[in-house]
Amino acid sequence: MHNPYEVIPGKIYDIIQESPLIRTLRINLEKPISFKTGQFIELSIPGIGEGPFTPSSSHYISETMDVTIMKTGFVTEYVHKAKVGDRVGIRGPFGSRYPLEKFECKDLLILGGGCGLAPLRSLFLTLLHDVEKYKSITFLAGAKTPQDCIYKDEVTNWRKYDNVKFLRAVDVVPDGEKWDEEVGVVTVLLKKAKINTAKNPAVVCGPPIMMKYGTMDLLKMGYKEENLYLSMEKKMYCGFGQCRHCVMGKYYACKDGPVFTYDQIKNEEAIWD
Amino acid sequence: MIVKVADFFTFLNRCFSEGVGKFDEIILPVKSSKENNNLHFASIKKGARFDFETVQLDTYRTIDPVKVLYYLSREKVLPAHYPPKRRLIIGVKSCDLRALEILDKAMINNEFVDQAYKHWRDNAIIISTDCLSITNTCHCTLTGGKPYSESGFDINLSKSFYNYHLTVGSQKGEELVEFMKKSITIEDDKPDILKNVANQRQEVIELLNKQNEEYFRSEDYSGLINSKLSKWETYSRECVGCGGCTNICPTCYCLILNDETKSEQFVKVRSYDSCQLNGYARVAGGGTPRPKMAERFRNRYMCKFSYMKSNFNTIGCTGCGRCTDVCPAKIDFRRTVSYLDK
Repeated sequence: MHNPYEVIPGKIYDIIQESPLIRTLRINLEKPISFKTGQFIELSIPGIGEGPFTPSSSHYISETMDVTIMKTGFVTEYVHKAKVGDRVGIRGPFGSRYPLEKFECKDLLILGGGCGLAPLRSLFLTLLHDVEKYKSITFLAGAKTPQDCIYKDEVTNWRKYDNVKFLRAVDVVPDGEKWDEEVGVVTVLLKKAKINTAKNPAVVCGPPIMMKYGTMDLLKMGYKEENLYLSMEKKMYCGFGQCRHCVMGKYYACKDGPVFTYDQIKNEEAIWD
Repeated sequence: MIVKVADFFTFLNRCFSEGVGKFDEIILPVKSSKENNNLHFASIKKGARFDFETVQLDTYRTIDPVKVLYYLSREKVLPAHYPPKRRLIIGVKSCDLRALEILDKAMINNEFVDQAYKHWRDNAIIISTDCLSITNTCHCTLTGGKPYSESGFDINLSKSFYNYHLTVGSQKGEELVEFMKKSITIEDDKPDILKNVANQRQEVIELLNKQNEEYFRSEDYSGLINSKLSKWETYSRECVGCGGCTNICPTCYCLILNDETKSEQFVKVRSYDSCQLNGYARVAGGGTPRPKMAERFRNRYMCKFSYMKSNFNTIGCTGCGRCTDVCPAKIDFRRTVSYLDK
């Protein structure tokens, strides 16, 4: 009988400090974990606690896993103290995935901000694996300031593909920082990107306020509610629908989500909080 | 089948003192104090002297729900090694058995199995008993229940004067009856006893109906489900958000998970949580979907009458009334439902 609380141990083999508050742990797993992009895992710091995070690596890789984490609470503070060689534990994968088959032959829009880029990087890398299947991919990424931008080293690579557009915007450029891309909230990129909304899918992930206004903007542009895929972040404690912390009305963010269409959850209470 | 009350207790006594039946633990309701009729589940270990005086099998439900025997307030879920422990649990009431059915759906389903819960379920025999009296918060009949069990037990006992009318509900129950027959007399049904049991059951239903006649319930709780937050604010004004109602509720099972790893082996421990507490759904960074007490108060009712209905196809309240008993603000669950559902 499978124990849903089973932990797969892993060891950190590399740490990338993406921004002052965000780092990516690169983890060697003792046993491979096959997940589908969009699904999440519970990462434990032994003796401290665990939290729900979405892998940011491609789902074609199962022996190692990248997890991008922002320092924002108790457990994540310890994540940011972790060193290469430290032991961590992983439970999962849990929840729903991005329906890649529905993105095939379509113009796909990916809209993300801050640490919300973590699951989107997983999606994006997974899409790049067979990039020719998709008509086009437009990835719009936001951050507060240029130094808050994550995955800086990968941007050049991501811009190499003919049918991929990767655009970035920062809210403000503080004095002394250099930035030659867009300035403004991420949704300003929507105008720049020249997107075909009819029957095309869009994926949104980011801080609650960005998800709310991003979704509203996309709806105004003509995206259909059932084509908007949102990664909902709630307090997923157990991961499989037992602890009830992440309930959104009749849905559990952990097992019915975290990937929902806007159409599914628009009537549930407090989805953006 | 019929068994004399005295004979049944003789059998129990042998279970305790002589180890008959090889039960590691026998758990039954005993009086909590001399002053009132409150009961709690007590565990009597093998070899212990058995005091008949304090045991009460046939009145109303215990203070603590039977949930506490299956879904422990604190339990290690990783590593999931549980010692074999055969338990006989006696005097379980219908409201608690219906709650176990809900917990079964929540904990043992196609998507996952909570191994600790399943372990306790697999290794216990349940002897349920009819309620021959009620306490003033009992309202099972408002929730579609009855003060006696028709399923979910291994054996059910309905007291009729000096006899128990015994009903077998499972293979485990069948085996236990066969085993009991080796040391005590079990006779065939007698029409007068059956008739008396039926009459008593009807009497208790009437007591419940009378006790709860002032409380309104709609067919589908749509009034409650569609109530505006301002209405909830009125009724939750006195709630202090202690979470007592959820901890004592036989169908609440929200948990928090702690990492208590001290060596190579990862250790995870679950304990009760409560959706009434402010930090319950708060995420790292501080966001919470239900910052107001009224929202958290509403969440409990919505969970019972809407979410559990969607998830388990049954409402999550069995009418035991414990949440009303435990409430330091004396908020009556029945009255709140009644007011909001109108």
